[in-house]
Amino acid sequence: MSVKIAVIDFPGSNCDLDTIHVLNDVINIKADLVWHNYFKESKYDGVILPGGFAFGDYLRAGIIAAHSPAIDEARVMLEDGRPVIGICNGFQVLTEAQFLPGALLQNDTLTFICKWVMVKVENNETAFSNKMNIGDILNIPIAHAEGRYYIENLKELEENNQIVFRYSNENGECTKDSNPNGSLANIAGVCNLERNCIGFMPHPERASESILSPKGTSHGKNFFNSMVEFIKKRL
Amino acid sequence: MIYSEFIIEVVLENKPAARDPVGETIRRDLLAKKGYDMVSNVRSGQYLRFYLTAENEKKAEEIIEELLNKLRIFNPVTQNFKILKLQKES
Amino acid sequence: MTKVKVDENELNVDLTQSEVEWIQNTLERNPSITELGMFDVMWSEHCSYKSSRPKLSLFEDAEKNYDYVLAGPGQDAGVIDIGDGYALAFRIESHNHPSAIEPYHGAATGIGGIIRDILCMGVRPIALLDPLRFGPLKGNPHSQWLFKYVVKGIADYGNCTGIPTIGGEVEFDKDFESNCLVNVACIGLGTIEDFKHAPSRAYNPGDYVILMGGSTGRDGIHGVTFASRTLTELSEADRPAVQIGDPFTKKMIIEATLEAIKTGYVRGLKDLGGGGLSCALSELTGDGGTGAKIDMRKIFTREPNMNSYEIMLSESQERMAFIVKPEGLEEVLNVFRKYEMAHAVLGRTDDSKILRVYDGENLVVNLPAIALSESPTIPRKEKRPEYLDKLLTEITPEPSKTLDELIYKLIASENICSKEWVYRQYDHEVGVRSVVKCGDGDSGVLRIIGTDKFIAASVGTNSKHCYLEPYEGAKEGIVEACGNVIANGAKPKAMVNCCNFGNPEKPESFWYFAEAVRGMADCCKNLRIPVVGGNVSFYNEDEVSNTAIKATPEIMIVGIIEGEENIITLPFKEVGDQILIIGETKAELGGSEYHSVIYDLEGGIPPKVDENQINSRWNFIQELYKKKLIKANHDVNKGGFIITIGEMCFKNELGVKLDLKDYNNYNLRDDELLFSESVGRFIIETNPKDHNEIMKLAKEFKVYVKNVGVLSQNPIIEVKGLKSGKLELDVIKMKNLHNSTIPNLMEI
Repeated sequence: MSVKIAVIDFPGSNCDLDTIHVLNDVINIKADLVWHNYFKESKYDGVILPGGFAFGDYLRAGIIAAHSPAIDEARVMLEDGRPVIGICNGFQVLTEAQFLPGALLQNDTLTFICKWVMVKVENNETAFSNKMNIGDILNIPIAHAEGRYYIENLKELEENNQIVFRYSNENGECTKDSNPNGSLANIAGVCNLERNCIGFMPHPERASESILSPKGTSHGKNFFNSMVEFIKKRL
Repeated sequence: MIYSEFIIEVVLENKPAARDPVGETIRRDLLAKKGYDMVSNVRSGQYLRFYLTAENEKKAEEIIEELLNKLRIFNPVTQNFKILKLQKES
Repeated sequence: MTKVKVDENELNVDLTQSEVEWIQNTLERNPSITELGMFDVMWSEHCSYKSSRPKLSLFEDAEKNYDYVLAGPGQDAGVIDIGDGYALAFRIESHNHPSAIEPYHGAATGIGGIIRDILCMGVRPIALLDPLRFGPLKGNPHSQWLFKYVVKGIADYGNCTGIPTIGGEVEFDKDFESNCLVNVACIGLGTIEDFKHAPSRAYNPGDYVILMGGSTGRDGIHGVTFASRTLTELSEADRPAVQIGDPFTKKMIIEATLEAIKTGYVRGLKDLGGGGLSCALSELTGDGGTGAKIDMRKIFTREPNMNSYEIMLSESQERMAFIVKPEGLEEVLNVFRKYEMAHAVLGRTDDSKILRVYDGENLVVNLPAIALSESPTIPRKEKRPEYLDKLLTEITPEPSKTLDELIYKLIASENICSKEWVYRQYDHEVGVRSVVKCGDGDSGVLRIIGTDKFIAASVGTNSKHCYLEPYEGAKEGIVEACGNVIANGAKPKAMVNCCNFGNPEKPESFWYFAEAVRGMADCCKNLRIPVVGGNVSFYNEDEVSNTAIKATPEIMIVGIIEGEENIITLPFKEVGDQILIIGETKAELGGSEYHSVIYDLEGGIPPKVDENQINSRWNFIQELYKKKLIKANHDVNKGGFIITIGEMCFKNELGVKLDLKDYNNYNLRDDELLFSESVGRFIIETNPKDHNEIMKLAKEFKVYVKNVGVLSQNPIIEVKGLKSGKLELDVIKMKNLHNSTIPNLMEI
C-alpha cells in the first residue's frame, strides 16, 4: 500500500508548496495540498501543517488556524496514532490547538530571524526522527518571529522524553550562543506522549536539497523519511 | 505637597477610519464561523497600564498624555490613544 | 492648485485652468465631479508622467528591438521570455513619500503595491529586492527610526506573503535625511501561457467586470469639499495619513488571482492603484478598445454614506479588477468563494468605447474610454547647476593617517559595512528557490524548479557619482548592476529603473533627470540591454532647506544562469589560488566613499564609463565561465580594490599576499590605487595552472587582466609594491569591524 500524506493549506500558509515539492519530487512520496476547509482525514496516512502565517498570525500566531475544521480532522488522526507534524507556523498551530504542550513566544531579539542553525537529535523514537541517531547534529534554517519555546513544567517534559530537538553548536553543545531565539533549554522541537505528533520550528523542507544548503547538506530529508517510515511500520 | 499614587490604563488603537486587519480577521475567520455572528465588528489595540505618583488626578493624566505624545508611544500617524481609567491606588 | 466648483461641491485640482477648459471643450459639457477627479488623478505627474515622458522616449523600443521582450514600458511590469516556456516579470517603483511620513506602513504598502503590479501580469511573485536610502545613522535618531521601521515594514509584509526578499542596497547620506528613498522591486515567474491569459486590457465586449479583494474606504480622497456632510462622518484627525498594510489579505489575493487565471476564463486583469477603480476601468477599456457599463452601488464599502466620487476614486489597498468571459463567471466566482475573498460583479464590457458608471439611476461617469490617457506633456527647462564646476575640481588631500588605519575606518563605514542586520529580518529562503545566500554573492540567485536555469537579480546605483555627473553616473549604475549578476555567473537580460529626483519645475533638478535618462538610454543601447519598464518619482525635495536629494536613477537588472555548475559566488575558496583583477584602476576618487568617509568631501573626478571596454570584459568573463576557469568573482564597487579583497576573504577567513607593483599603470598614489572606484572591474579567483590560458584569452578579447596575488591560509592581507612600502591588514579585525557597525548603531 502506498503512503499518502496531506499538507494543509491554511489561508496564509506559505511553505505549503515548498513542502509538497520536497515530498513529491525529492522524497518521491504521494502528497496532496489540501485546502483547510476541504480536508478529510480518512484519505490520508499522515498530515503536515506547513510553515507560513495562517490567518496572518493575527491575534496570536496559530490561534485562528487552531479553530479550523482541518484541526478537528487532524485530531482524529492524532488519536488513532497517525503522524501529525507541525513545521514552524504548524508547530504554533499545534500548541494553540493543545496537541502539544508549551507555547511559542516572540524571539528574544524582538525581530524576525532568517538563518541557518544546528539542531541536535534528543529523541529518535518519534514519527519525525526515527531515521536519525540520538546526538546527530543537523544543519537547517529557521525563519520565524515567534519561535521562543516556553513551558512552565520543563521537568515533566524532560522526564517524559518529549524534547525531540534542541538548538546546538557544531559540537552538539546546547550553548546560549547556539540558541537563536531564546527558547527554554534550547528546545527546537517537541512531541506528544504517543510520539506521533511533533512540532518543529526550523524548516526541513528548505534543507532537503544540497543546492539550497550553504554547506551542501540535505539533512531535511531525514525528517520526511522518518515520517514515511513511521507510516509504513503502522500499515 | 503630598504626592499620591495613581494607576492609569491606556489603550492604543488604529484611527477609526484606518483599517484594522487584526480585528477584521478575528471577526470574519473566527467569531462568524463559530456562530458568534451577532458580533458585527472587532477592533484590536494595545493596552498599557502606568503606575505613577503625581500631585493630583489632573496632573497624573497630563503626565501620561505628555509622555504618550512626546515619546511617540502611540503612532500619531495611524493611531489614537484613549485613557480608559484613572484611579488612585489604595 | 486650481479650485473648481461643480454644482454644490468644490474640488482642488492639480489640473491647470487650460486643462480644465480642454476637458470641457472635448466633452462639450461640464464634467461631473467624479469625472473631474478622474482627470485630475490620471493627468497627475505620478500617473501621466507629463514632465518625464518627453525624456523617456529616448529609450529604444524594447518590444520592437528585442525578440525575447514580451512586455515593455507602459505595462504594469516588464516581461521577458527566458526560454523553456517561462516568462519572467519584474518592476521597481518608489514609495518614498508615504515612507517618510510613516516608515512601517509606508514601506509595507509599497511592497503591497509592487506585488500587485507583478500579479497583474498573470505570474506568481517570487522575490523582492529593496534599495533604501536614509540620512547617516550615527548620532541621528530620526534616521535610525526610519531605517528600523522601513526594514520592519518590508520584513513583516514580505515575510507574511511568503515572497522572499533576496537583495537590495542601503545607502546613508546626509542628502537623504529629510527625504528617505524606499524603492521596492519584485520579480514574478510563470509560464508564457499564464502571461498571455492576463493582459491589462479588456478586448472583448460582453465580458463581466469583477472587483475582488479588500473593501473600499475613503483612502486617498483629498482636496475635495462636499456641500452635504452628515455629522456622523469622521474628521481628518480620525483618518490615518497612510494606509495600514494587510499582508494576509494580499496573500489571499495572490492565491485567488493565480487560481482564477488557471481556470482560463480571465481575459483581463488590473490592480487598483492611483485613481482607484475609475482609472483601472478606463485603462482596461480604453487600451482594449471597448467600453463598459458599471453599477457602482455593487461595490462593497467600508464606511457609510460614501458618494460616487469617493467610491470611484478611493485608493484603498488590496483590490483587483478582473475581466471574465461570460461562460466562466461561476467558475471564477467559485475560486473567490473558496478563498473567502469579497467580490462584486460590477457590470459588463460593451463595444461603445465609452465608460459609463451608474450610481443607481444616475449616470455619474460618461467618458470616452481613451480620453483619460490623452494627457498633455509639459516641456521643462534644464540647467546644469553652477556649483558643479567647483565640486569637480576638488582634489584628494594628503592622507593624515596610515593606510591600514584608513582601511579599518572604511570597512566599518555605514555604506560599506555588512548589511546582515537587514537581511536577517527578511525571510530570504521561502519558496525553496534561493540558491546563493545573502552575503555570498553580488546578486540574489533563484533556481527555476524543474529546470537547470537560474535567475540572478540585482539593484543598485551610485548617488554620489550621479550627483557629480549624472550622465556617467547613470551609466555606471547599469554597469554595476550588470556586473553584480555577471559576478554570479549570469548573462544580463533586461533592465527596469526607478528614477528618484527633485522638483522637475526647477531647471537644475530637471537637468539631473534629463542627463540620467540620456546616460541610461545610451548605455543600454551600447550594451544591448532592453529597458522594459520604469517609474519616476519627482519632488524628492526638502521644503525647508529647499534642496533636492542626490539624483538616484535606481537600476534593476535580471540575468539568467544556464546550469548549476555555472553559479559563482564571491568568497575566496582555496589556498594557493591566484587572484586576478580585470580592468585598470584610474585616479577616479570623485564621489568615492574614501572621499566621503575620510575627508567629508563630495567632489573630485567621478569614474567614466567606456562601454566598448566593458563589453569586452563581459565577453571575456563569459568565455572564462564557459571554460570553467573562475572559482570566485566579485565586482569592485564602493571603497575600491582593497575593500573588495577584504570582503572576499571574510567568509572562509583566508588571507592574501598581494603585489601591486606592476598593476599601477598610471603612477597613482597609494590611496588612489586602493580606493578608486573605477567602473566595471572584477576580482576573480583562479587556479594557477590555468594562468597561461587566461592570459591568452585576455589578449584575444583585448581585456586588461593582471595577476596581483595568491591566497594564503593565514588571515592576513599583505600588500607589497605600494609607494609607502608594505601594508598588512588583519582579516579577522576587518571582518569584526565590517559586521558590528549597524548592530552597534541600532543597539541590537
